[in-house]
Amino acid sequence: MKYVCEVCGWVYDEEQGYPEAGIAPGTKFEDLPEDFECPLCGVGKDQFSEE
Amino acid sequence: MHVTNDIRYIGVDDHQIDLFEGLYPVPDGISYNSYVILDEKIAVMDAVDTHFGAAWLDSLRAVLDGRTPDYLIVHHMEPDHSASIALFMDAYPEAVIVASAKAFPMMKAFFGNEYAERRMIVKEGDVLSLGRHRLSFIAAPMVHWPEVIMTYDQLDQVLFSADGFGKFGALDTEDEWACEARRYYFGIVGKYGAQVQSVLKKTSALELRAICPLHGPVLKEEQLTEALRLYDLWSSYQPESKGVLIAHASVYGNTRAAAEELARLLEEKGEKVVLQDLNRCDIAEAVEDAFRYDRVVLAAATYNADVFPPMRQFITWLTERGYRNRTIGLIENGSWAPMAAKVMNGLLQSCKDITLLEPVVTVRSALNDESRQALAALAEALL
Repeated sequence: MKYVCEVCGWVYDEEQGYPEAGIAPGTKFEDLPEDFECPLCGVGKDQFSEE
Repeated sequence: MHVTNDIRYIGVDDHQIDLFEGLYPVPDGISYNSYVILDEKIAVMDAVDTHFGAAWLDSLRAVLDGRTPDYLIVHHMEPDHSASIALFMDAYPEAVIVASAKAFPMMKAFFGNEYAERRMIVKEGDVLSLGRHRLSFIAAPMVHWPEVIMTYDQLDQVLFSADGFGKFGALDTEDEWACEARRYYFGIVGKYGAQVQSVLKKTSALELRAICPLHGPVLKEEQLTEALRLYDLWSSYQPESKGVLIAHASVYGNTRAAAEELARLLEEKGEKVVLQDLNRCDIAEAVEDAFRYDRVVLAAATYNADVFPPMRQFITWLTERGYRNRTIGLIENGSWAPMAAKVMNGLLQSCKDITLLEPVVTVRSALNDESRQALAALAEALL
């Protein structure tokens, strides 16, 4: 699944994870830490939606 | 100017500027605000536009009375606030920049220096003590840039709110806060309602004696309460007033005549009506009216089998800013193949919670009995 930041359009791809922030490939969006922020614009998980 | 005993205003008024951000006419200019907190340690809150760096440093020197500042807190990196950072850092070699992690790469990108040896990176919840004044930092991403932080002075109960609660107009002009604050909000911050709501949730837990924005006056007492009320309303996309904006884009004046006829019909029924000529007005005025009132009528001519360009631009301004939760009527004009209503309808499809009224009024070149009847029916539907 992919999740897109509603503010800036950055995409979190569960398959890829986000190794730059220590998030392993395969990490489900729901398992991202609660304080996960969009790396481009800084908004929280509540402002992502399924792509 | 004293904000409190220890907090001084050292900002500047800009009456030279014609277009703010290259887009918004500012006939009364604008202020670039900066503040100083005097304590055992001294913090300066934000720099100013490049044209006013020397005047700003003069005001700072006068307030410092021989002392030197310890910190420059950078809440926001738009150049109207950040372009004089280097001037300050050269004048005060011991000073440290306090900002979010996202601010420093921007500093590098805009001005070629990210002060790797002279910086303190802060995030939500961090506290910096100046002595008696303890400053806590609030992350405010996308209000209206990603690096934005706000600072709360726990002792004086003052919030430094970056561009939030800002307005157009220099400080030496007298006007009602809401008018130009509304145009500023919907023009510049309007897209980011959800992010403003997040910040309001955090600040609602704070005792506030004053809000110090980066543009416009310091807000205190009733003005502060009213500003918080309006920001909550605006950022949740709720209409502020009952009324109808009729925005028209006319080629020869016949679409305008239809708009004016509708305005007369509505005013006869006691409705508040605002007309905006999109070919000529400051579009940001029309945008703020569209968000301010609960109903909007878009009246446009057909042009090149499309909608007349000023209307297309207006709708783009609305949809870019998350326009929603309103009732909309449409008037189109076309001499052989009216297309404007179809195009306007299509452009509005991305808006949430929009009610499109029937009938859509079609004017064939100029008003006639048939289109006058349709206008009367639209007026009834708008009531």
